[in-house]
Amino acid sequence: MIDNILSHIIFLPLLTALLLGLFRAKITYLKIGAMFSSVATLLLVIWTAYHFDPDGGMQFVKHSPWIQNTGMSYFIGVDYLSLVILLLISLLMPPLYIYMYHEKRKGYWYNMMLLQTGVTGAVLSLDLVLFYLFWETMLLPIFIMIGKYGNGLHQYNSMKIILMTIMGSMSMLFSIMYIGYVYFDTVGIWSFALTDLSTLTFNIKTSIWLTAGFLLAFAIKIPLVGFHTWMAPAYGSSPTPAVVIMSAIMAKLGIYGIWRFGFALFDTVLVYYAPTIIMLALIGLLYYAIRAITEDNLRKMFAYSSGSHLSLIALGLFLTNIYAWSGSLYLIATHALATTGIFIMIGLTYKRFRTVQISALGGIASKAPKFTFFFTFFALSIAGLPGTGGFVAELLIIIGAFKANFWIGVLTATTMLSAMLYIFWMLQRTLFGKANNDSDYEDLSLREVVMLLPLVILLLVTGIMPSLFTPIFEPQLTASLQEIINVIGGLK
Amino acid sequence: MINHILFTLPIATIVIGALVLMLLSYSRKFTMQRLNILAVFFLLISLAFQLINIGEHSSTFLFPDIFGDSFILDDFASIFDLMFTVGAILTLLINNDYFKSRRYFSGEYFALILFSVFGMMMLSHAHELVTAFIALEIASLSIYALVGYHKNNRVSSEAMMKYMVLGSMTGAFFILGTALIYGAVGSTSLTEIALYVVNNDLQEMTLLIVGSSFIMITIMFKIGAVPFHSWVVDVYHGAPYPITMFMASTFKIAIFAIALRLYLVNFATINVFWAEMLQVITILTLIGGSWMAINQKLVKRMLAGSSIVHSGYLLIGISSLGLGSDVAAPAIMFYLIAYFLSAVGSFGILSFIASQSKTQMTYSDFKGFAQKRPYMAIMMSIFMLSLAGFPSTIGFLGKFYIFTSAIESGQILLAGLGILTAFISVYYYFKLIAFMYFYPSDTPQKKFPIDISTIVIAMMALLVIWGGIGTSLIPFIPSPDAFIDIARQSIGSLK
Repeated sequence: MIDNILSHIIFLPLLTALLLGLFRAKITYLKIGAMFSSVATLLLVIWTAYHFDPDGGMQFVKHSPWIQNTGMSYFIGVDYLSLVILLLISLLMPPLYIYMYHEKRKGYWYNMMLLQTGVTGAVLSLDLVLFYLFWETMLLPIFIMIGKYGNGLHQYNSMKIILMTIMGSMSMLFSIMYIGYVYFDTVGIWSFALTDLSTLTFNIKTSIWLTAGFLLAFAIKIPLVGFHTWMAPAYGSSPTPAVVIMSAIMAKLGIYGIWRFGFALFDTVLVYYAPTIIMLALIGLLYYAIRAITEDNLRKMFAYSSGSHLSLIALGLFLTNIYAWSGSLYLIATHALATTGIFIMIGLTYKRFRTVQISALGGIASKAPKFTFFFTFFALSIAGLPGTGGFVAELLIIIGAFKANFWIGVLTATTMLSAMLYIFWMLQRTLFGKANNDSDYEDLSLREVVMLLPLVILLLVTGIMPSLFTPIFEPQLTASLQEIINVIGGLK
Repeated sequence: MINHILFTLPIATIVIGALVLMLLSYSRKFTMQRLNILAVFFLLISLAFQLINIGEHSSTFLFPDIFGDSFILDDFASIFDLMFTVGAILTLLINNDYFKSRRYFSGEYFALILFSVFGMMMLSHAHELVTAFIALEIASLSIYALVGYHKNNRVSSEAMMKYMVLGSMTGAFFILGTALIYGAVGSTSLTEIALYVVNNDLQEMTLLIVGSSFIMITIMFKIGAVPFHSWVVDVYHGAPYPITMFMASTFKIAIFAIALRLYLVNFATINVFWAEMLQVITILTLIGGSWMAINQKLVKRMLAGSSIVHSGYLLIGISSLGLGSDVAAPAIMFYLIAYFLSAVGSFGILSFIASQSKTQMTYSDFKGFAQKRPYMAIMMSIFMLSLAGFPSTIGFLGKFYIFTSAIESGQILLAGLGILTAFISVYYYFKLIAFMYFYPSDTPQKKFPIDISTIVIAMMALLVIWGGIGTSLIPFIPSPDAFIDIARQSIGSLK
């Protein structure tokens, strides 16, 4: 049990879904089953986190052969980086299931469970082929959910997201196969385990191409500016649970991929790409902010806002100093919480008003104070309100940026202010002012408050007492950063 | 002698079965249903004999005092025999409903299927060019007749004419090539040819190279490689569903049996000569096939077009083989198994739907299919994912091996192109999934019919998934590893 705890965490939702599907469970049982699987997973994850040794590196490792002929192995493990995302995934699932409480379409529930297995597996795998397997399979539920339960041009947008992301992953697949072959060529046996492959050295020209293969996949997933055309339409037409997972988890997996696989395999070459990515990220910060200001659709607006924050995380990652790195990791967590909150709020808005156009909303504050409070809180924590986790993270990244280069720092800091601009303007038009419609709507119910409260508390705790969380990742973060700085230093 | 009779029993059973079925088809007592059972029975007996024989012996020539070295029995041929027999059994079982729903099927149908299986088995055992030609023609003639089986249907007859005229013409190339090789070597036996190839310089073998290039034309035609592809889409479209399924899965594999034998044994030392030619054909096939598949409205035609692309992937494997990749040969075998499973499954579902209705089955006919038949839709999606090479299906591993073999032999651009066409294929396969799932249905959900067809299709779906994720940790159940081991062993028996 304890030996295989990570496998349980990965496959519990999938097995639940399979069992329920096999017995063609009624919708009530389906709901109970899904909720059970998410809570059980959460407990397992908390147990793992409790027993996690901050100084220990890769832990709870399970390495067993999978397809021996070509050296693919079932290789999973958790370290500070994956633990953060793992915690996020399992924390976000129960509120999402509470949000879906009234959902009667079975496919929704099945897809959510499959999705959880997909993203968890991707975070925990340390074998490249296994990672690729989960990386691709987590797309399928998203594809189905957008296409089937979405709104607007959902069929078209669903096809668009799957084609664009698969284009990225195909290029990654090519790199994976090539690396596997190089390993076979030098060592004589096949292996795709990260620990084996990271011992390889490539000649510089090859590795630039190989890195490009990986980076394309991750850049599309994040999405960096230029690779972002799927984002706003897909976010705009996808149902709330799917958009939460996409923005809170899947986009972060792009960052995670660079962090885990990029730095492990190609640390030297990433330096070569760093200026390009920093520039793309800076452009992204500004571009997404401008798009967000001009956007009238709430979902799309926060899609752009999410893109802007992910650019910030990517920026922090490539600045390679301790402030920026801690900031990035911290922002991964806090942004996931805040974005979950805000997209759930937008979902609730849609349920009440049947629209998410800002111009069609207004005057909510006078009628629904609780709704207004939560909406404002999440929106502001996205903008980085002091006291919420986002503030700490963004501050760290800005300090890191100034440390790296004065002008990068200035640009980062100024573009951060633009977030304030669109958030406040949006809040003013959405919540306050005159009511545009006379629709009769109720305030948040108890169920909705219960599902949002954990997010609020977590955001406040991360904001007020960051020192509670930093010990989890600080030692290893410093260590791995030091490794990379050594490599870069060796280059200079 | 007794031994040899035992070895030939699988083939003999098929031929006897074919003759018996042909005679019985005149009797009114034997309905289609019974004939179907009888045909499957013969195939099963043959399968049982094959399973007894497999792995029991090293390569031997059958009846050397009568046939010389015309027929060889090795693991390679046995594995292919196994696939043909299983393919035929699956074709017959899955299409059980289809036979019932179409009146134009008559008893000869089963005899023809068995005859073509017989031809294919001969083909995989053939160790002499004229024998190979005769075997190929036995299989092809049966297929020609089967393609035109729906006599009153214009499309079916057109397909038959097209296929037969073109096929016979390219068949003539095979015999011409054989004649030229005979002129050079003085024998048509593969043993002699191999000896000749080893003992002579490339410059002195012009006649042999020209001759074997002609043979290659026939092979390329039969697998539908561009630029010999013009028949594929029309013929696959015109043929009744069971036949399309049989052609796409089983018959195509048979061609690869002879191609592999020729390239691995016969022309092993000079296949560098064809490397560039093969690469060009591969590139054309991949691009052309994608082009054919991407703008089709009928799902059947899309699958036909995409089968060209799959031939292209296999050609990547063959051209890597020529350039000395070690993993290429098992990769080709594995890909054949993978494609076989997914093609049988997807065509099986199409034929199942066709047996319920008479629509042409365009993409938009699949609107709401997931709501109407959720289990069928899931299985169809699994097959589509496998064909597209989506991970966690056997198709992914197949592509993985093929592309790694291309990288291993230094054909990085070819591997890149393969990846690109795999990406394009995602579009037309996922389009079907999108149509099935993204639109509501106007008819209520239908019950999942449990009969022989659906059970077999469901087993295929499970195999496709298991072939992609299965581990070797669970004993007694073959995993992808086992598939590769089988492929390795069969290739190993060639050398």
